[in-house]
Amino acid sequence: MTRRKTSGGRLFCADRSGTETANEKDEVFRVCLFANKQSRKTAETGCMYTGREEESEMQAIRVENLSKTFRVKRKEKGMRGSVKAIFHPQTEEIHAVNGVSFSVEEGEMLAFIGPNGAGKSTTIKMLTGILYPDGGRVEVLGVDPTKKRRQLAYQIGTVFGQKEQLWTHLTPYDNFRFFGAIYDLTERETEARIGELSERFALKEFIDTPVRNLSLGQRIRCEMVAALIHKPKVLFLDEPTIGLDPVVKENVRELIRQMNREERTTIFLTSHDVGDIEKLCRRIIIVNDGQIVLDDSVEHLKSHYPNEHAADIGTHEREQEAAGSGDSSDVSLEDIIVEIYRSQGEN
Amino acid sequence: MLTAVKNQMRVCFLSIKYNMMREMVNKVTFLTNVGFMVLNNASFLVQWLILFRLRGDVGGYTFREIMLLWGLVAAAFGLSHILFARVFSLSDLIIGGKLDAYLVQPKNVLASVLTSATDVSAIGDLLYGMVLGLICSRGAGGFLLYLLFTVTGAVVFTTFALLLGSLSFWFVRMDLLQSQLVMGIVSFGTYPDGIFKGVSRFLLYVIIPVGMAVWHPVHVMTDFDAGMLLTVLGYVCALTAASVIVFYRGLRRYASGNLMEARL
Repeated sequence: MTRRKTSGGRLFCADRSGTETANEKDEVFRVCLFANKQSRKTAETGCMYTGREEESEMQAIRVENLSKTFRVKRKEKGMRGSVKAIFHPQTEEIHAVNGVSFSVEEGEMLAFIGPNGAGKSTTIKMLTGILYPDGGRVEVLGVDPTKKRRQLAYQIGTVFGQKEQLWTHLTPYDNFRFFGAIYDLTERETEARIGELSERFALKEFIDTPVRNLSLGQRIRCEMVAALIHKPKVLFLDEPTIGLDPVVKENVRELIRQMNREERTTIFLTSHDVGDIEKLCRRIIIVNDGQIVLDDSVEHLKSHYPNEHAADIGTHEREQEAAGSGDSSDVSLEDIIVEIYRSQGEN
Repeated sequence: MLTAVKNQMRVCFLSIKYNMMREMVNKVTFLTNVGFMVLNNASFLVQWLILFRLRGDVGGYTFREIMLLWGLVAAAFGLSHILFARVFSLSDLIIGGKLDAYLVQPKNVLASVLTSATDVSAIGDLLYGMVLGLICSRGAGGFLLYLLFTVTGAVVFTTFALLLGSLSFWFVRMDLLQSQLVMGIVSFGTYPDGIFKGVSRFLLYVIIPVGMAVWHPVHVMTDFDAGMLLTVLGYVCALTAASVIVFYRGLRRYASGNLMEARL
């Protein structure tokens, strides 16, 4: 088994005989950037995160060889294609998630990113029990979402930036009371939690205004309070800052940081906003074509990747500007991420 | 176990309450919808009055029995649409990937989905059905039977729609078949079973459950038969079990979606 770089002990790869070979000497290199082909090969040979036993007790999320395939209908163009599809339906298998393995420690803030269609949302949906995996294992807080979805739901919270969970005709207050009932909180517990969170998220001004009349920033804050009403141990955030202005974005980020700090909530974040990643997360996982192509700390990625890929990063922009100092210190995280996406696309 | 059921009931009750609150936001629309539905149903009375002036009975039914049929269909349809209106758009939820919000909650998915919407005009159907039931039932016992069959009829409407809607986990556009067959219960159920013979009668007992939702109950109310009553109750239990099993089997195939959406 060969690979360009290793993740310094975070990833343990098993060969076909099942023997685990940890590249622990390679502590310096935190970047685990596989070429696409290599990544597929790794998945075939069973690359999986195992972790030490004492670590597993502290793991909030544990995923091994997770896979999900969708069967999508295909038809030829036009009316003729539609008629033909009735008698000869054709389907295509899309491997949305293909042998993904990783783990997240309790209290960790992880960015799980990738280009559109990379498999991020599908992974989140399998972690939260919305989708059934086709293969592999998932454990969130020691609970298998496919078997004990309801038990897990008491301990996790979800915010989907593109999907509202709140009742738009009700006020945030009524919504929070409803969510309190969903999580079996008593009226007293619900009231106390609403008081605490409305203060923290500064909702007092509009807590009695119907949700449909709130601004996007106010609504997202309410969505987060609804997701936190039962004090979840893990919070899944799928594009929580989408469409927000920079000031509101910064407020939302601060609230997430505060929650993580004070309640030790594990944050699993997907976002296309590099600001979210840079300002919130210490660790980043990049997925593409349903596979993990990088698992690294944000800091290490920013400091090491540019030196090793100086020629690649920002090439396109540099070509256009006919310039290129090659000074890696100027390379932003966004440039690095774009380059990784591009290199994966080329592969 | 008991606490879990109690908590589930509390959430379902709150959900129905909030649905009603939403519908009552606009008082004029609310009252107009309810009032016009009562009028709409009552207009068919005229048609049957004229018919019964020309004939003594239709398909073996007297005018009172026809009114029992109408009342029962309206009340069962109304109750089902007040409490479980979402089941009639289940296909849309499945195909559009809109079950996510229910799946991340620590509650029974099916109960949460079913009680997540209400149809305000159905209150008019229920009111109309109850008035006819009070007028046409024989005494207090007869009305109690009428109430029982309103509930069983509503369960048949709901579970039949659930069964057909759940097929959307496997096949697309099941919403058309669902709406046609469910409305078939209303269309055929408001006519006496005596006018249907042979294959059509067989289909209306087997494929579309009109017989068990309406005709058998009316027979029991007009001429009490314990065996027929038990048959109806048994059928309701079997249909409920079958639809729930199909829904949960299908749920494993649920593919979700990424459409922008709001919970309205």
